[in-house]
Amino acid sequence: MHTGTISKLVIGALALAATSAAAAEGARKGCVELKTVAETEVEYVDEQGQRATKLVPAAKVIPGTQVVWTVTASNVCDKAAEKVFIDNPIPAQMSYVPDSALAAGADIQFSTDGRQFAEPASLRVSEADGTQRAARSSDYTHIRWSLRNPIGPGQVAVARYRAALK
Amino acid sequence: MSRSVLAGAVLALAGILSALPVSAAGAPAGLPIDNTAQVNYTLGAATLTEPSNTVRIVVAEIVDVIVTLQSPAVTVSPGAAAQVLVYRITNTGNGLEPFRLSIDSALGGDDFDPVPATPAIYFDTDGSGTLTPADTPYTPGSNDPALAADAFTTVLVSNAIPAPLANGNRGFSLLRAASLTGTGAPGTVFAGQGTAGTDAVAGNSGGDGDATGTYLVADLRLTAVKSAIVLDPSGSARPVPLARITYQVVVTPTGSGAATAVVFTDPIPANTTYVPASLQLNGTPLTDAADADGGSLETAPTRAVRVALGTLTQASGPQTVTFAVTID
Repeated sequence: MHTGTISKLVIGALALAATSAAAAEGARKGCVELKTVAETEVEYVDEQGQRATKLVPAAKVIPGTQVVWTVTASNVCDKAAEKVFIDNPIPAQMSYVPDSALAAGADIQFSTDGRQFAEPASLRVSEADGTQRAARSSDYTHIRWSLRNPIGPGQVAVARYRAALK
Repeated sequence: MSRSVLAGAVLALAGILSALPVSAAGAPAGLPIDNTAQVNYTLGAATLTEPSNTVRIVVAEIVDVIVTLQSPAVTVSPGAAAQVLVYRITNTGNGLEPFRLSIDSALGGDDFDPVPATPAIYFDTDGSGTLTPADTPYTPGSNDPALAADAFTTVLVSNAIPAPLANGNRGFSLLRAASLTGTGAPGTVFAGQGTAGTDAVAGNSGGDGDATGTYLVADLRLTAVKSAIVLDPSGSARPVPLARITYQVVVTPTGSGAATAVVFTDPIPANTTYVPASLQLNGTPLTDAADADGGSLETAPTRAVRVALGTLTQASGPQTVTFAVTID
């Protein structure tokens, strides 16, 4: 468990240090390429005059807005990636929108500390006074999508959730 | 740069560190929010972990303001100068925002138009809630108040009251605060004009707010009617030495408004001596000492009875003060 935390920290730090370097480095990749996109839903009127919604890229967001986070995992190798799980920390200043996490063929678990992941029903959090209570969706800090099936060569898995900016 | 790296580190540790402060309107404008996902998988015998790209969104600014009147209707006399209304301007957005202030005393729906003083708007610099020489006058474009999210400032508006006016006449004066970033229908976007270059968006207030104060002409008049009952030692009503005179003074407030800190004083007549403990207000005895009951016997500069009547309105009704003296 501690090892996992440390490796996550190292990866987090590397990811930041590498954001600009990553493009240049380009070639060095594993088999699963992961892409995160932030979007917001806007309403528009389509050709038939019907109200509809579409997702547009989000860059500047006012408090209260729901951001749709989409994580796409693409297998770019010729071997299947197995036992795939995707973790996404819910950004600080954002609150997970209940029941918004989606992914075809995945089991979804949550965490309130980034270490222990569980189904919502069995997640508990400690109050300041030491008592325990069931976790609320606003307590979630991380989401994990565990894919039931491997991602085959050339295949793509998509995970998505919504979080509202506090 | 160091700040964004720090913010990123906080996000990587999300759930371990507590969240940054959130104002009433939400996350602070200009705050960058980074998100990086991570995938874990096995490839044959190898276990691999890969991060995604990092996506940054920036918290846009909500431009919102509320102006609230802090003073009840101000009772004024016709012709009075520098009558002050107290307002509070609160930035209910999520970023630092400067506001332009203006007043309008020529509103409809009232009986008279107050006349703005020059200058008419002051900051309550000394925090007294009243206009004092220490308060800074407001000059548009020069010292427009810049308020942080959730911060407020207290503003005093000074108007003169015209004359003549009738009792009960009302005059309205409005204070308006408008965001210098812009005003418009809620949702109006001011691209790139928000805190730290983020977008600003008009909030529910539309970026401006106002509140209207009221001046109420109140000529509360106090009339006093004094009567005396004489009782001489023989039981008749002749004002002879040692006769006791019981004075009754009825103070009646009439008109609108309120008179505050009303004090009744009545000198002890020459050649008489106050009867100790004879002072009463509305039938209730008051001690002669200067204490909490509001009644006292003054000895300087002249001997007099004194009764603090407090705040009086017409609804207070007649106030009856009685005291007794003996003829020397």
